[in-house]
Amino acid sequence: MSKRFWSRRELLNRCGGGIGGLALADMLNGASVNPMTPKLPHFAAKAKAVISIFCYGGVSQVDTFDPKPELRRRAGEAMSGKGSVVVSQGHPGGLLPSPWEFKKYGQCGMDVSSLFPHVGGMADDISFIRSMYCTSNDHAPALFQMNTGFILTGHPSMGSWITYGLGSENENLPSFVVFTDWRGGPIGGAPNWGNGFMPAAYQGTPFRSSGDPIVDLRPPEGMTPDRQRKWLDLLGKLNEEHLAKNPEDSEFTARIAAHELAYRMQTHAVKAVGLEQESAATEKLYGLDEPETEYFGRQCLTARRLVERGVRYVQLYSGGGNFTESWDAHFDLELNHGMHSKETDKPIAGLLRDLKGRGLLDSTLVIWHGEFGRMPISQRMNGRDHNPYGFTVWLAGGGIKGGQIVGSTDEFGYKAEENRKSVNDLHATILNQLGLNHEKLIYPYNGRNFRLTDVSGSLIKEIL
Amino acid sequence: MARTLFAASILIASLSAADDSGAAAHLILKKNCLLCHGAAMQSSGLDLRTREAMLRGGERGSAIKPGDAANSKIYRFAAGIDQPSMPPGKKLNDADLAVLKGWIESGAKFEAIVETSKEDPKAALAKLEDRPITEAERNFWSFRPVRRVDPPSDGKTNPIDAFLAASWKSKGLTGSPRADKRVLIRRAYLDVVGIPPSTAEVESFVADNAPDAFSKAVEKLLASPHYGERWGRHWLDLVRYADSGGYEVDRDRFNVYRFRDWVVNAFNQDLPYNKFVQMQLAGDEYAPGTVDAKIATGYIYLGPEANMSNEQTRMDQLDDILATTGGALLGMTIGCARCHNHKFDPIPQKDYYRMQAVFFPSSNRDLPVVAEDALKKHEADLKAWRARLDPVEAELKALQAPYRKKIREEKIAALPDFYQLALNTAAAQRTEGQRLNALQVEKTLGVSRGEIEWILNPEDAAKQCNLIEQITLIINDKPVVDTAFSTVEKEGSKPEPSYFLHQGSIGNKGSEMKPGVLSVAADKEPDFPTPDPGASSSMRRKTFADWVTSPRNPLSARVMVNRLWQHHFGEGIVRTPSNFGKTGEAPTHPELLDWLASEFVAKDWSMKSMHRLILNSNAYQMASDDVAANRKIDPDNRMLWRQARWRVEGEILRDSVLAVAGSLDLTLGGPGVYPYIDPALFAASSRRTWPGKAEDDASTYRRSIYVFSKRTIPLPMLELFDKPDTNLTCSRRNRSTIATQSLILMNSGFASHQAKVFAARLQREAGADAKAQIERAYEIALSRMPTSKELDLALSFVTNNPTGLVDFCQTIFNLNEFAYIL
Repeated sequence: MSKRFWSRRELLNRCGGGIGGLALADMLNGASVNPMTPKLPHFAAKAKAVISIFCYGGVSQVDTFDPKPELRRRAGEAMSGKGSVVVSQGHPGGLLPSPWEFKKYGQCGMDVSSLFPHVGGMADDISFIRSMYCTSNDHAPALFQMNTGFILTGHPSMGSWITYGLGSENENLPSFVVFTDWRGGPIGGAPNWGNGFMPAAYQGTPFRSSGDPIVDLRPPEGMTPDRQRKWLDLLGKLNEEHLAKNPEDSEFTARIAAHELAYRMQTHAVKAVGLEQESAATEKLYGLDEPETEYFGRQCLTARRLVERGVRYVQLYSGGGNFTESWDAHFDLELNHGMHSKETDKPIAGLLRDLKGRGLLDSTLVIWHGEFGRMPISQRMNGRDHNPYGFTVWLAGGGIKGGQIVGSTDEFGYKAEENRKSVNDLHATILNQLGLNHEKLIYPYNGRNFRLTDVSGSLIKEIL
Repeated sequence: MARTLFAASILIASLSAADDSGAAAHLILKKNCLLCHGAAMQSSGLDLRTREAMLRGGERGSAIKPGDAANSKIYRFAAGIDQPSMPPGKKLNDADLAVLKGWIESGAKFEAIVETSKEDPKAALAKLEDRPITEAERNFWSFRPVRRVDPPSDGKTNPIDAFLAASWKSKGLTGSPRADKRVLIRRAYLDVVGIPPSTAEVESFVADNAPDAFSKAVEKLLASPHYGERWGRHWLDLVRYADSGGYEVDRDRFNVYRFRDWVVNAFNQDLPYNKFVQMQLAGDEYAPGTVDAKIATGYIYLGPEANMSNEQTRMDQLDDILATTGGALLGMTIGCARCHNHKFDPIPQKDYYRMQAVFFPSSNRDLPVVAEDALKKHEADLKAWRARLDPVEAELKALQAPYRKKIREEKIAALPDFYQLALNTAAAQRTEGQRLNALQVEKTLGVSRGEIEWILNPEDAAKQCNLIEQITLIINDKPVVDTAFSTVEKEGSKPEPSYFLHQGSIGNKGSEMKPGVLSVAADKEPDFPTPDPGASSSMRRKTFADWVTSPRNPLSARVMVNRLWQHHFGEGIVRTPSNFGKTGEAPTHPELLDWLASEFVAKDWSMKSMHRLILNSNAYQMASDDVAANRKIDPDNRMLWRQARWRVEGEILRDSVLAVAGSLDLTLGGPGVYPYIDPALFAASSRRTWPGKAEDDASTYRRSIYVFSKRTIPLPMLELFDKPDTNLTCSRRNRSTIATQSLILMNSGFASHQAKVFAARLQREAGADAKAQIERAYEIALSRMPTSKELDLALSFVTNNPTGLVDFCQTIFNLNEFAYIL
């Protein structure tokens, strides 16, 4: 019998939170509700979780998944017939051919460049959207758009929306977890996984992929688990004394439960990121045995472990900081994209393979994207500038058809031309796989019902 | 070109020929499309009035492909096949679609259309943009003039209590008894100054049995400089205050703390609210050249700043200003009218753009806040400094030149062939591609200092080293002058025109806009004067601010008294404090709200008068405990039969921990401080610049309002406890309870270090006796003695654990009672 003053049953009853009771409560519009209680989706869901692989800085579509032989044929020529060419900085040059060769992969015969041979090997499980566009050619607004649906800062991120819509399936872990690159975070920082105008309960929790996953997860030096348990027991008893006056105050009980959850998280979160139980073969699959892929591989493997444990939304950033540290190849494209693809190709393919092998790919939607693409013309002789007008993203698992190509860009890979897909469309589709209708998932704020997809967005039906 | 189109404009006269698919199609277009793609405007550059204009198309290309509906854009959009579907958010009904399809398939001809009228495009546009306000709309509660009803009282009762008592009576509620004195004084301190009372302050209040004991305590609190810190913080939430610009660069605004301090001082000096608002909106027009004006107008551009500067980002910036001004000062969701007329409230889109015109001529600039002679000296210093720097830089450049040239040539030789070819082709003979490539090489081929260092000969290397050292020294010596983050207008010229933007799009400019106000809330449109030629500003903001702060404005006073009420009672009389529109909540006590609003104006907009009135009411001093009978009738306490209980903000929790531990540094004002943040957290920002101090660095033990507020690197202790996103105006903080809040109070260096400091204080003040220590801890942290049960529990814990006292102190920081205003 636990020595804790509060039995688990009592806590649950007092929280009135139903299943999982959970420790979290929020005062919203005066009513006490438990924001993390699992909620039913709008309709039967295909996917339970999302892993977003965010290649921050912007990946070049014409060097990865959207081959454009025209660039080689017309190397150095001005890009003509496309109206005035808008660049984010510097001086636009002529058409710059891709330094990489493309090869056909899988039964679908998908063209993938030599930057992503391992991902290419999974082509039959992937749907490629070649006609994505966004509306800003500036990093922060484009990042915010990809993450929150709005180019302006201050809106809840997709992980927040999903957690808000579905609640959490694991009461001992945060429901929305973010891993940044070892070189740093993306431009715009915390608002990229922020809760915007929603309660803090829905914000993403940054995890580290080694050591303690969460800041302040480990008690300070000298504070043993036993010692901590003792003072938390005292805390429970004193709080109980205080509660006697207002036993129906659900905020008080929720806060008591939050401490207990925090206590449990200390062990659960560490276990979730501990890879000791993973086999050598699994580690190899993710590239943990090679220095270049070790870091991102660890994140991908941890993402799988979190999804297994009921975490709803895991976002992994490839690239951090500025310029070369991210995919932002304004110069020396070969060095930049060569390095970043080398770090991520094998881990990403490993993740897909591993999820599939464990029967988890059907219920886990993996999305791969940057905040925009890159220009087919040169910048600073050997780089490419930002391009919001057309780029490729891909989706796999979570009920998405494999081996599909949706839409196309023009002959240069500059603008999405056929079957253009907006970020709202992408978001609507992701929510759909989770059983959420993007037009019905609303949050009232300041007199208006807000949506992740603002006032537009249609499902990308071709891949469903 | 527009003119020739209008001349060619043809409109259908009638559907005379029933078999004419062109006429039928045109009717459909006229009904559904021509509003935005016709005479008044050509959204996306598309005009659907004539076949030739359709063929020419707009930004998305040709609208029709005669004979092929499936590949005609107009059909694809109207059928919802492609996005954006048309009309926006909808599509045509099946019958109309069938007609449109048939018409395109049969060649897309307008056979029987005859020219009937030439619409004046200006008039058509104005008609399109106009959205009159009805009398019924003006009659919505928040737009009606404030109406003072005398309180149902005997003249001795505080009017607030009289109004509340009436509302209880009608609902069968009874007001709660007065709170315990210790609870009350603690409440007042946390609420008014945001720091728990000292034990001496508690005891002297408890011992004072005079009937005006609490009134005296209130006066003392309102006179405290910490009152401004506490209530200024509420205002900073509303005006999205931060010390940096956000987005990519998140540029530090090292001078914006002066705005924060100005707000704190304004509260402390009880600057009348109308003046307070006037200075922020238009200080430069009310009191030109004054330091106060330079600082206060920082309000306008406190929002985030985009990395790129273009027409779109400018529109977004103005939207931030309008949304903030609408929400914070008027309690109106004006931002909703950017793309269309407000869907719920009578806020025409035109009002949005008229108010945009108010702010349009302004811009953000750092202005020196030193005296004239000091400024002159600074300018001279700067000139002298430049004169020192320039020659050394020139010398360095000359030294590097040959190396630079060599590296450059090597780099060019390594470029792909088409670059060589471009460079080797005479400028006049270059193709367009070659011109671009050559220009790119010329403009962007850089040689870094690092690259030069690789090949410098030893003698030049030594020289370079010396020069760079000199330059560094001079640069560190750059003269600086104190500035304010301020708002200015371009001098001496007429403001640039601004326009109605249809669908909020810069591509869809409508009529030029004159400045204006929210028409539904103005009994008479204010007269915006035409400035004299050469005037230093347009005076538009002053005119606007005069309207905002006019006693006749139905919103301003109501909105602000509601905010004051909200922070004293946990919720406002209107529980949606920045939304007094249809989608907001109606006031729970409308007569009380109006009485307070009229009293506020009558008391010369004095905020301290209102605090005094509220704090001295019985309502404020009621116990906050539940009463079963009342709870049954009104579980949400909407009728305010008890005082509210609410968790303090992160700032107050952090300040309380520091105060209780005896660490809190009560210095007022000045530049922000940088408490410790785990590097893992700011590494997750692309700009890793948080010069955090160690956890035990006493320079960080300042009140939380002085923590540098960097938009991309929030202090976790504040962020987790719902400090608002500094990018949007926030009128009511969320109050979340989440496990990561517990983790930070359990495990952070801050909490554990302050627990040790608190324990040391207890030992110092109460000696070695555990009982005395525990009692002292309760006195300091909770303003009361422990109950015998609490004492037993704590005593057994402290005496049975080697680390008992420190852990007990940490327990105190985690108590619900510690974190709540009761």
